Amino acid sequence: MNGFLAVYRREVLSLWVTPLAWVLLTVFLLLQGAIFYSIITHFASMAEVSVDTGPLQAYFGQESIFLLMTLLLVCPALTMRVFAEERRSGTIEALLTAPVTATSVVLGKYTALLTTYALIWLPTLLYVVILRKTGVVDWGVVASSYLGLLGIGAAYLSLGTLMSAMTKSQLVALLLTIFLEFGLFIMGVGEYIFDPGLFRDVCAHVSMMGQMEDFSKGILDLRRVVFDGTVTALGLFVTTRVVDSWRWG
Amino acid sequence: MIEVSNLTKDYGTVVAVRDLSFAVGKGEIVGFLGPNGAGKSTTLRILAGFLGATSGSVRIAGHDIAASPLAARRALGYMPESAPLYPEMRVSEYLLFRARLKEVARGKQKTAINGAMDRAGVAHMAGTVIAHLSKGYRQRVALADALVSDPELLILDEPTAGLDPNQIREVRALISDLGGDRTVLLSTHILSEVEATCERALVIDRGRLVAEGTLEELRRRQKSSSLRARLRDPNRLAEAAISAIPGLGLATFSADDTGDGRRTLHLTLSQELDTEATVETLVRTLTAAGVGIHALIPEQATLEQVFSELTAHEKANAEKTLPEGEA
Repeated sequence: MNGFLAVYRREVLSLWVTPLAWVLLTVFLLLQGAIFYSIITHFASMAEVSVDTGPLQAYFGQESIFLLMTLLLVCPALTMRVFAEERRSGTIEALLTAPVTATSVVLGKYTALLTTYALIWLPTLLYVVILRKTGVVDWGVVASSYLGLLGIGAAYLSLGTLMSAMTKSQLVALLLTIFLEFGLFIMGVGEYIFDPGLFRDVCAHVSMMGQMEDFSKGILDLRRVVFDGTVTALGLFVTTRVVDSWRWG
Repeated sequence: MIEVSNLTKDYGTVVAVRDLSFAVGKGEIVGFLGPNGAGKSTTLRILAGFLGATSGSVRIAGHDIAASPLAARRALGYMPESAPLYPEMRVSEYLLFRARLKEVARGKQKTAINGAMDRAGVAHMAGTVIAHLSKGYRQRVALADALVSDPELLILDEPTAGLDPNQIREVRALISDLGGDRTVLLSTHILSEVEATCERALVIDRGRLVAEGTLEELRRRQKSSSLRARLRDPNRLAEAAISAIPGLGLATFSADDTGDGRRTLHLTLSQELDTEATVETLVRTLTAAGVGIHALIPEQATLEQVFSELTAHEKANAEKTLPEGEA
């Protein structure tokens, strides 16, 4: 793991000393605030609330389409520059001539992105604190919901990192990532469209909304975790190979 | 320190480096010379481990770059051509990042960074964001980066490109200063740079090594040497007298009148002639003809001339062989 920590620290610093992370944080929190606010007002006007469909379940589960739509915006914007910018500006030459392996470079950068993603989610814990004042919060459900979000983020960021390594243009990386992740998301929607059968099962298996619905009820489905893990690992593995291949360009 | 044998690199149909072999010993300062597009940067990028070779082998400090790339890269400090840096970082932050990346021991990082900044002359810029630095300072930060791990071998790709004359002098002084305990390989297309800093030069053209040797050896490689004679010759007798010297027919000469009967004569002697004997004959002949000699100035071949002769010669050769399939 030569240089992993050095790459990681530089990447986190770069993300937070430039406006990118702050802009994303602001946009993200505004959107999440609006979503949370409308869910809360909706629940406040309801006469009766059943036990397993509180506002938290709605936010993380049934209404997770809103939350996932913001991720489709935030994750590609977070990953687009990670390799494309280094290649365009030439800093990749200095980076790859240091005694580091492609694996540490890719993992260092990726872990920094995942940390930033987690930091962007951190303020939403306040929503839980707010809800706690007026009712009971099941912390297990909160934990599993965030775990679900971490899994989806890990997969999205891995795909974005790969797309950023494929091109020198940040814009192309952004568009490719949105295309890929939106495709994955839409495929999940197929669960509600197609007739029962193999195709619907596949759609249900990759459904991000399905994943959030399960996790928001505290159901930790191992298949979901394995799926997220596979996408993440595959994306990172291919990225490493791409970085190695630059030597032969 | 560097051993390159039969190195070839092609980018699809374009051959950037072909069958290049050379060696650089410990403590040498070697200039890597060639016109733009000769394959200098490609070769240095291969040595630094940024590009892979198509064929051939490279050993850096005894480590084969293909078999043990990390050990090879650990032994060298590389400064890429355009000095790419992260604009959002401060100089000290950037150098700390590079020191960590290059595995400088935790306790020594601060000393290493300060030492590198001092040597490269950027110590007073430590807290400045790189985006706000001028081109010259960026170049020097990249140089500090190459120095930060105190490597035995420095590979510098056009270290003085884009600098003003004062900065060029400083960087050259620094490079000369580094020699002795360190090996330096620097590329340039500016000949005076090699004359100012290097002990030995490798001349490369169109991906091939065309000459190699100390500066003295390279100068001697020049095909012809020349003489300048300042004469008092109101009756213009010099030409006739010189043409009459037997065996001097190979030389070319031209004269210009500087008025007052004074003239300056430019003579180019072909290599086959013994320069010293020719000068003697010349003086005797001219004096006998009644021409007054004010000065006889041997013009030493500059590397500039050697360089253009070497690369022009190579071009002519290449053109001859070109139709067989390169285009």
